[in-house]
Amino acid sequence: MAKRKRNSRSRRKLQRGFAILALLGLLALIVLVAVLDRRVTRQFEGRRWTLPARVYAQPLELYAGQDLSSARFAQELERLGYIAQTPVDRPGTFRRKGDSVDVYVREFRFSDETQPAQKLHVGFDGEAISALSGPGGADVPVFRLDPLLIGSIFPIHGEDRIIVSPAEVPPLLPQALKAVEDRKFDTHHGVNPLAILRAAFVNLRAGQVEQGGSTLTQQLVKSYFLDSRRTLRRKGEEAIMAFILESRFEKADIMNAYINEIYLGQDGRRAVHGFGLASQFYFGKPLAELNLPEVALMVAIVRGPSYYDPRRHADRALERRNLVLKVLADEGVAKRDEAERAMKTPLGITDNAGRSANYFPAFLDLVRRQLREDYQEQALTETGLVVFSTLDPLKQEKAEIALSDELARQDKGSRKAAQGLEGSMVVTTPQTGEVVAVVGGRRASFDGFNRALDMKRPIGSLAKPMVYLAALQSGRYTPASVVMDEPIEYKLESGDVWKPNNYDKKLHGPVTLVRGLTQSYNLATVNLGLDVGLGPVAKTYVQLGLDEAPPQYPSILLGTAQLNPVEVAQMYNTLANGGFRSPLRAVRAVIDEHGKALKAPELEVTEAAPAEAVYALDRMLIEVFERGTARSAKKALPPGLVVAGKTGTSNDYRDSWFAGFSGGHVIVVWMGHDDNAPTGLTGTTGALQAWTRLMASISTTSFEPLMPEAVEDRWIDYYSGLETSPYCSGSAVSLPFEVGTVLNPNPACPPSTTAEEAALMQPPPPPVVPNE
Amino acid sequence: MLPLSRTFVAVALLASAGCSLQPFHKEPPPSPSRTATRGGSGPMIPEPPTVSSTLPQEPTIQGPAPSIPVPRERPKVAPATLSPASKALVSQAQAQRKKGDLPGAAGSLDRALRIEPNNPLLWIEMGRLRMDQRNYVQAESMGRKALSMAVGDNRTQAAAWQLIADSLQARGKNPQAQEALERAQELSIQ
Repeated sequence: MAKRKRNSRSRRKLQRGFAILALLGLLALIVLVAVLDRRVTRQFEGRRWTLPARVYAQPLELYAGQDLSSARFAQELERLGYIAQTPVDRPGTFRRKGDSVDVYVREFRFSDETQPAQKLHVGFDGEAISALSGPGGADVPVFRLDPLLIGSIFPIHGEDRIIVSPAEVPPLLPQALKAVEDRKFDTHHGVNPLAILRAAFVNLRAGQVEQGGSTLTQQLVKSYFLDSRRTLRRKGEEAIMAFILESRFEKADIMNAYINEIYLGQDGRRAVHGFGLASQFYFGKPLAELNLPEVALMVAIVRGPSYYDPRRHADRALERRNLVLKVLADEGVAKRDEAERAMKTPLGITDNAGRSANYFPAFLDLVRRQLREDYQEQALTETGLVVFSTLDPLKQEKAEIALSDELARQDKGSRKAAQGLEGSMVVTTPQTGEVVAVVGGRRASFDGFNRALDMKRPIGSLAKPMVYLAALQSGRYTPASVVMDEPIEYKLESGDVWKPNNYDKKLHGPVTLVRGLTQSYNLATVNLGLDVGLGPVAKTYVQLGLDEAPPQYPSILLGTAQLNPVEVAQMYNTLANGGFRSPLRAVRAVIDEHGKALKAPELEVTEAAPAEAVYALDRMLIEVFERGTARSAKKALPPGLVVAGKTGTSNDYRDSWFAGFSGGHVIVVWMGHDDNAPTGLTGTTGALQAWTRLMASISTTSFEPLMPEAVEDRWIDYYSGLETSPYCSGSAVSLPFEVGTVLNPNPACPPSTTAEEAALMQPPPPPVVPNE
Repeated sequence: MLPLSRTFVAVALLASAGCSLQPFHKEPPPSPSRTATRGGSGPMIPEPPTVSSTLPQEPTIQGPAPSIPVPRERPKVAPATLSPASKALVSQAQAQRKKGDLPGAAGSLDRALRIEPNNPLLWIEMGRLRMDQRNYVQAESMGRKALSMAVGDNRTQAAAWQLIADSLQARGKNPQAQEALERAQELSIQ
């Protein structure tokens, strides 16, 4: 009795305990639901993804006379994801027929206006555009294509995405997602218990997780609100949040959020989120333009972006894509025959080499740094800015090829020290100071050490033009002035003695300025620089565009100043621009997500050095290709193309440089080892080769600056600097002098010598060609 | 070891000797006495290389011989004109300026400059826009850039000087502005 009483009492106690517990649990659940509800609603209603700034390349400008063949135009369209098809009936398609191209250009919001989608007829005349016309045959004087998306400025280890509106989503995609991932999406309340049970059963039988029972809503919740830990509590939270989401929002909103949120791939440290970016990442075109097999592949990837990575595991991806296509046919989303045809198509992703196409991390790095001067990091990575950059995709591609081809040639060569080299390239346009290409290393699409910006190396003989510029602008020297190429000992403050040498270890005695520069004689340059003064020489670095002058050691005359390739490009850009300095720009315009123009660097020019001195220096730099250290490159360049430049080799052949320009492009190349080991290469045998490859492969113009008014051309002897006649010998060279300059005539062959007289002179003094 | 000062003097002397042969400025060739005074009693005054026979004759030709020299002539310059593409962009920029859309106008002129970077008329147009933007320093710079591209083209140079004059005047530099204006007027008469 007492026992029973005790029993019933304890049972009642237990029941009460349970009741309290249940009440507490319910309370906790209510609190949890309330908390989650607040969180879900607030976050979802705001629907604020952090939106990294989107960066575009410069658009291709079309106009009559533009140097572009129909074949290359078609290539450019394909790079932009345009599809060749007949008829040309929707944006993103084109047809090339003989010497004309019809293209249906996509709508695009530029910094100044939104250009509507429209049809355009482009006529070609061989290597150039002959005419442009609109739909009614109306003449179009100039037209820009939608530019290439080249990346985003996303936080480190951050998510990158392109937000798409429902109108930009092909209707097939949500249908396919539902068919494959969540058949009851339209009717369930966030969770699908049946699917969970089925998945559990499948998984139990397989002994591993093969099927997930998550609805699209649950997947969205997991990605949007939770971390990836798989605990029971998380599962519970996920289910509750999915339920809340479903009860508060429309199905269409949830689907759109899913399409913009979900993780679809990895690109180095960049996480590819949303179908908008994934479409660019895998197919190089807007989501709206994807066809059936492409949509199927995207849906296939959802299940395991790394396992079904179409670049690394093409077989798996193809198999799953075809499974998806089969499901789409079974579910009636696609027609059976279309699905079967789609199964036979290749994956069609943009690049199989394991790198994402159109991704230029070294250039983006420069864009990011320039923007950081005007914008907070957070503004760049979160607020959806659109950045119009100066990158020229074609030049960038050619630069990457030129460098990697040259490095590959060195790898296969006999010089052990030149194998496994690294390199960097920068390309700018002289008049406007725009950076059109940046290569940061051998693996151009690898987002790592950016040698174009983060590597400072001694510039070697690239420094010589600064010495000669200082000499010319002192007014005490002309290109025909003579300096001594003879030994020099300079006592340093430390007590050490600096004793520079020529590369060929020879002495050349009295040499003209033009010869000293073109042959890159060290001793002549040091003697000249010491006479002009280290101060004026150091000052030229600032004139040409560096922020700071190098320290005034005599060794700067031979290039001990350490600079990165972009800084070198800035200085040589000023030389190529006739002494006008334009700060290099990688950004043309920035707009916010609503299209409002924001702050961006403007085109600037400043007269930084006297035009006459720069002109004379530039003419001497042309002679580097005629008779100096770059003359071997002349035959590899298009005939008649006038270019100017300078080789650079640092001590013990550790750095191989070349910096030079045509009328349209400044190119700077560096080659060397990251650990600073000797390369065995001079500027001529290394960097110049890559420079020439690039200069020969791009469309550019001759370097033919207008002669300043106060200057005239005179013929002088390359060796003596005496005035002579063009017919005298191979050593007569035409160079600019201020009008009225007194030059001593060459008694052996005076300026008046005619061709006939010259022919009778025996023998003509032979020219020389020593090496750097 | 050679004392630096001596070497330096020698170098300076040599340089001045070289220079004395071919001065950059319009002045008569200096007399040898100038060389002497500058060189002082330096110990190793090199012979000024006036006679070709004293110069090193380099022995052999390696590599391709330099291309056959052709005398350069100062090219006759016709007044600059705009290409149809640039013309369209300039009109667009002018329309944008009228609407007060200065960034838009700058964008249009930027486009034209990419197509014809050597056309002085575009630089003048850009300078005019900088005037609207009250960036007078850059307006002048654009004018000077245009001048350097319009050698021998009086009409365009006159327009560039006019721009420079306006930019100077806007900064209150009236004497220089007057001078620039006179240059512009002289050139437009010619």
